[in-house]
Amino acid sequence: MTSALAHRDVALVDLVDRLLNGGVVIAGDITLAVADVDLVYVSLRALVTSVATAQEKGALPGTGSAL
Amino acid sequence: MIELYAVTDHPTPPLPDVAPLRVVPCRDLAAVCAPAGDPELSPEALWRHEEVVEALMRDRDLLPVRFGTRLPDEAAAARAVADRREALAVALQRVRGAVELAVRLLAEAEGGQEAEAPAGGADYMQQRRAAAEVAAAIHAPLSRLARASAERPSPVRNEVLRAAYLVDREAVERFGHAVAGLQREHPRLRILCTGPWPPYSFAEA
Repeated sequence: MTSALAHRDVALVDLVDRLLNGGVVIAGDITLAVADVDLVYVSLRALVTSVATAQEKGALPGTGSAL
Repeated sequence: MIELYAVTDHPTPPLPDVAPLRVVPCRDLAAVCAPAGDPELSPEALWRHEEVVEALMRDRDLLPVRFGTRLPDEAAAARAVADRREALAVALQRVRGAVELAVRLLAEAEGGQEAEAPAGGADYMQQRRAAAEVAAAIHAPLSRLARASAERPSPVRNEVLRAAYLVDREAVERFGHAVAGLQREHPRLRILCTGPWPPYSFAEA
């Protein structure tokens, strides 16, 4: 895994947190219904968990992309 | 069908050329949107969305809109902004001039091994207290450099802090130095800091 890719995977955890839980909710159809968001979590969980495990084992760098 | 990316001021600087973006004005606010493709849920789709919002963020203040917000057309987008105009204006004011930084804190036990599972209730309470102390030692100094902060529960064992900080754009570098300094002071912790992000965790209207 390249360093840049490792950074991106570290940031993926933060990205998922933000895009799926954050942002302003304005009136209208949110096409991603709750059930779909759960599906995203299921499909991303394996990746996120493997990233978290890699972090715990010290396989990834200690700081993220920007800082 | 259109997809919404952000709510920003109107008028707004020229839009970046990263997607067929359009501005939908509503008095002193505007929604930024683009024709919606097929709904897709994947890391790549999330990154594509993020790249658009980050490009917008470079030269304007904005409220990122919840991922997956779709409306039939621009008239519907204008109505949606109009319905909540005052709350959106207040929320936009709150994040003006600031970006979000993400911090996660991983605690390692003695010798870098994973923490042992607690033997009983008392051990568990002691581990919880120790984790809270470690989290506070990192969170407190970073909070002082931020306009606001938000903690969220972590699903990961050993991750003792998962937080977001709303930081003035000109203070981002100082925040980064502070993170590096804290990492040096606490070599047994791993501080994962990413950003700058659009202010997703501070965009509630």
